[in-house]
Amino acid sequence: MSSRILPDFDLLLPQSIPDAVELLSAHRDRITVMAGGTDVMVAMKFAQSPAQLPDYVMSLENVPGLAYVLFDPERGLRIGAKATVADLLAQSEVKRHYRALWHAAQTFATGQVRNTATVLGNLLRASPAGDCSCAIYAIGGVVVLHGTSGRREVDIDDFWLSYGVTARRPDELAVELILPLPAAGSRSAFKRMTRTSEDLAKLNVAVRLEMSGNTCVDARLAMGCVAPTPLRLTRTEALLKGRELTAEVLQRVAASVPWEISPIDDKRSTAEYRKQVSGVLLKRAIQEACGAA
Amino acid sequence: MKNRDITLHINGEEYRLNVAVNRTLLDVLRDELGMTETKYGCGTGECGACTVLVEDKAVNSCLTLAATMDGKRITTVAGLADFGRLDHIQQAFVDEAAIQCGYCTPGMVMKTASLLAQNPDPSEAEIRHALEGNICRCTGYEKIVKAVRKAAETMPGRAAAVEPCKEVVQ
Repeated sequence: MSSRILPDFDLLLPQSIPDAVELLSAHRDRITVMAGGTDVMVAMKFAQSPAQLPDYVMSLENVPGLAYVLFDPERGLRIGAKATVADLLAQSEVKRHYRALWHAAQTFATGQVRNTATVLGNLLRASPAGDCSCAIYAIGGVVVLHGTSGRREVDIDDFWLSYGVTARRPDELAVELILPLPAAGSRSAFKRMTRTSEDLAKLNVAVRLEMSGNTCVDARLAMGCVAPTPLRLTRTEALLKGRELTAEVLQRVAASVPWEISPIDDKRSTAEYRKQVSGVLLKRAIQEACGAA
Repeated sequence: MKNRDITLHINGEEYRLNVAVNRTLLDVLRDELGMTETKYGCGTGECGACTVLVEDKAVNSCLTLAATMDGKRITTVAGLADFGRLDHIQQAFVDEAAIQCGYCTPGMVMKTASLLAQNPDPSEAEIRHALEGNICRCTGYEKIVKAVRKAAETMPGRAAAVEPCKEVVQ
């Protein structure tokens, strides 16, 4: 395949969510959904075999009303399927209440890609390196899916099944993502290691802490590029909960990370290096979250 | 569908086209309309050579399906010049010699146009962050960053805004 010529396909342009669900149900795994297209287009250009190519590309271009980023003081942050990464950055509540996500969005790829790529697309790509995915995993939330048997919500903790595979069924359209309201004393941070911003991360990490003074009441820690999907560091979280964040505790937390991850060697880094720096990066993210208040 | 009738508004002109659905916006601009000012670099959204404005937002035209652009307003680097007279961004790139082979320049200029529309007075750090998606393989970015600064300083609206101050000083 080539980086210039796209393979042959049929374009589908549903006018509504029910239309889209009907098309998905009719064509199931022969269809690829496209919102921003920054991942789908590259995947089609570089498909290794015809089996990887869809017969149909369904663009959400004409489906109205999905490009929103709305902060609802009752429910939390609602991000529609067509909302781009740049749309997130334009929303001041994201910076105020979901700092990890705001920071991930800010360093996400390039300005041109941020203007096109959607936040939900980053989740649906199910790459272990997704920056918004990592931040969203730490914050928590639910993905809202519409299918032939109705609407359902899938917790982000259950969303990624393996590399490139999500809990979305073939007849379902991911319609929105809902992030919870931040609890009092909640703070978050995101950090990534990479050569330049536009490269994929060699390691990324996001933390959400609920603090009472210097004591960590609750913690969600997510790390990317260290497993087939974004990973929650649940054993390390247990070391934080109920503890005062002293230098000793942070040291123990950092030391626990390499035991919980299974990175690989690839063109961006090595397993050894990733293990070496993972604990330090997590520690810095925790410190940044606490400092940011 | 394999083909779609679309209307594009490119640099102020209307174009009614029938495009194959697997053609990118870049393909249509270059191969079907002969607008070769927009360049093909990597084809994967990394180099920024194909940057155009869609509804005033900078996007990679190599990752954009033309068939989904029906009704959209598109600006290429040729759309900035006014009857052959360079606009302030293009002129700043010439004045600062921010061009070596010139291949990345259309994309750099278009990204600059979108940056200055959002932020008319960017710092050096903001300029470098904005240009992360545009790669120059000739000579580096010093002169390009200077050109963006100069473009900001010579923006037509800005000159008008500072004029009353000059009178006060005199």
